Amino acid sequence: MRRYAIRRSLTVVPVLLGVSVLVFSFVHMIPGDPALTMLGERATPEKVAEVRARLGLDRPIWQQYVLYFGNVLHGDLGVSVVRGDPVTTDLLRRFPATVELALAAIVLAIAIGIPIGIGSAVWRNSLLDSLARLGALTGVSMPIFWLGLMLAWFFGVRLRVLPTGFRLESGTTLVPWTNFVMLDATLQGDWSALADALRHLVLPALALATIPLAIIARMTRASMLDVLSREYIRTAEAKGLSRRAVILRHALRNALLPVLTVIGLQVGQLLAGAILTETIFSWPGIGLWVYESIESRDYAIVQGASLFIAAIVVVVNLVTDLLYAAVDPRIKYE
Amino acid sequence: MRLATFTSLVALALLGAVAPASAQTFVFGAQGEPVQFDPAVITDGISSRITRQVFDGLVKYKGATTEVEGALAEKWEVSPDGRVWTFRLRPNVKFHDGTPLDAAAVVWNFERWWKASHPQHDNQVKAGQTFEYWEAQFGGFDDQSIVSAVEAVGSHTVRVTLKEPQAPFLANLAMFVFDIASPKAVERWGTDFGKHPVGTGAYRFVEWKPNQEVILEANPDFWGPKAKVKRVVVRNIKDNSQRLGALKAGEIHGMEGLNPDDVAVVKGDANLQLLLRPTNTTGYIAFNYKVKEFQDKRVRQAFAHAINKRAIVDALYGGTGMVATQFQPPALWGYNRELKDFEYSPSKAQALLREAGRAQGLSEITWDDGKKEPLIFWYMSRSRPYFPNPKEIAEAMAADLAKAGIKTQLQTTEWAVYLDKRKNGQVPLYMLGWTGDNGDPDNFLCYFFCQPGAAREGFYTNKPLADVLLRAQKLTTLADRAKLYRQAEQMLHDDVGRLFIANNQPPLAFAKRVRGYVPHPTGSEYFNTVELQ
Repeated sequence: MRRYAIRRSLTVVPVLLGVSVLVFSFVHMIPGDPALTMLGERATPEKVAEVRARLGLDRPIWQQYVLYFGNVLHGDLGVSVVRGDPVTTDLLRRFPATVELALAAIVLAIAIGIPIGIGSAVWRNSLLDSLARLGALTGVSMPIFWLGLMLAWFFGVRLRVLPTGFRLESGTTLVPWTNFVMLDATLQGDWSALADALRHLVLPALALATIPLAIIARMTRASMLDVLSREYIRTAEAKGLSRRAVILRHALRNALLPVLTVIGLQVGQLLAGAILTETIFSWPGIGLWVYESIESRDYAIVQGASLFIAAIVVVVNLVTDLLYAAVDPRIKYE
Repeated sequence: MRLATFTSLVALALLGAVAPASAQTFVFGAQGEPVQFDPAVITDGISSRITRQVFDGLVKYKGATTEVEGALAEKWEVSPDGRVWTFRLRPNVKFHDGTPLDAAAVVWNFERWWKASHPQHDNQVKAGQTFEYWEAQFGGFDDQSIVSAVEAVGSHTVRVTLKEPQAPFLANLAMFVFDIASPKAVERWGTDFGKHPVGTGAYRFVEWKPNQEVILEANPDFWGPKAKVKRVVVRNIKDNSQRLGALKAGEIHGMEGLNPDDVAVVKGDANLQLLLRPTNTTGYIAFNYKVKEFQDKRVRQAFAHAINKRAIVDALYGGTGMVATQFQPPALWGYNRELKDFEYSPSKAQALLREAGRAQGLSEITWDDGKKEPLIFWYMSRSRPYFPNPKEIAEAMAADLAKAGIKTQLQTTEWAVYLDKRKNGQVPLYMLGWTGDNGDPDNFLCYFFCQPGAAREGFYTNKPLADVLLRAQKLTTLADRAKLYRQAEQMLHDDVGRLFIANNQPPLAFAKRVRGYVPHPTGSEYFNTVELQ
């Protein structure tokens, strides 16, 4: 196990290196001169040349990469082309918002998806199962931006019961100790801010949770069905164990293994989905930031944030793999 | 039981109706994130909306016009030769940090903009900022500038001497970039001043939550009409529909950036009102004069007669557009009311093409170097106030042209590439436009036509036109200048140098209870007149 863990961890290095090359090349392959985008319609050629030189865009691309990667190793993701602020600092300030949203979404997806999957498998081909399958199919195929807009329209504009965006009501001043709004509100004992933050979280979390929820429900169902047909389940039933004990103690535990992998994989999906969700709900996390930066061609931010997100996905997948090996002793990687 | 109580508490917290924004707070929905709040170095409208509340200039635009009136300067006089301007400052005005607004502070600001060696200029340049508008409006820095001296000639009197008269001098000074900052605060924060702005304005800066909102509060010591609402929050809501949703939900009180299709939605909503910003923007089609066919005036005239501008404006501007007959929008004082536009007439267009020896129509062009290619009509990939639906507008124009026998292929590219290609004179036929900065006709016409043959302008060469414009720049009497600008528009029209399609009055939407918001043609509005009923 330890050898496996070390070997598996080492594979992360070339992956990240490759990702950095890819991200760097993609960002630089995007047509359009960032200098011109920054300066706009009124730019003089001299100004454009000056800005290009300042950004190092006049150097050969490999030199730009070497310089960039060296800085990344020191935790320096460069400075924003538009605002001149350090990307790393901004990234860390915005990351909590994305984590808060992604966590809420994944918790929602697990809390609803797994019970639905279990119910669907246990009462296979019942009305509940059909509805759940239909719901899951719809959920998987639903474009997030459409769902987000509809949720905001229905609950925000029509019913006016939930806010259409942001993390807090306008003008609220909550000292950003950790930038996790709910944590900050709790630590500062500001219960109205906490309730406000929760209200703001509902719609974006729901929108972001839909796809992972549907996938988790489908995966749980399939996995449960597989396990329920195994002989040891029949043995357990024959021993006279209650149906509840059989399902929850014997079947579910084993059925959850593949679900765990799926949940791990969903983290990447969630971060990708966050770009849309955050844009629709003006949620000030990394997704919205990246979206705005793509528009303003702030390639330093796009590059830094993409690298950061890629690193998180790689690490989460690594952790999932290691957990998988730890949880299931039959699995050996040699 | 405990679970039930907890659940109902959570439900109560979540479903408690959204608190309507308070009557003391005006919440405005902006289209994006500000860059920073140092007025001297910013160039974008989102940032300047904030700086206009925090800072004042020596002079300002009056109400919804581009006429200039006093702000920090109570009055001023100009020498008969138009070179020496003397400004008398309003007494007892203080910056938000308590330091006095006096002649020394104003001179300090001028020197910061003007002198490259000024420590608070130099540090900005080293940090990658530029004093772009100073350079553009006043000819450059140090010796290159049209300004030759700025002196304090008393505690509250400032004298600015120019090397030669500059007609739009006051209009330039009224632009947001020349608002006066507290020297003490700039020195304290250096390049970070843009995050800690200190001016004399009706509102003072409180907080900027990145990607979320900017909070301002009323300045009780403001020298002018005191702010009617105590707090202003400008929220960044990127998506147009989402912003309208927030307005309808009562989360914000006003917004910019309405989709043309949503104009009707706002009009039909009993809780909302629509305000139009006076037009200060013109969308046009430009020819590339390296294309042989476009060197023939009859071909350009055929284009002018082929496009049904009225139909385009009626169908695609949500009721806020106007047919443009010339480059300047009608609100500008150099506008030529006598000018008679080309009538829409496909048959006339065909006749002109026949006359030009192109009875079979036009679908292929020949570049100067002999290279032939299909006629590609480039349209913008990004919506701008002058062309809010660029793709649909381009399709409509292409259909009109086709009726007259001009077959174009529509093409677009990413915005930055588009600007790049246009700048380098690589596109044969393209759409673009302009939004005025200061209400002066010079700002519309000279940038485009004072340098004959510029690649950026499709190599359009009209020397007599440039001469008229350069002459108008140096005169000091408005009436004389207006005459020259009217003449310039006529010359441009007679030469069919470019096709002016539409002006737009960008729509803004507000809750019914908002009163006193005065949309300004330059897009920079003061919030101190706003009240919530």
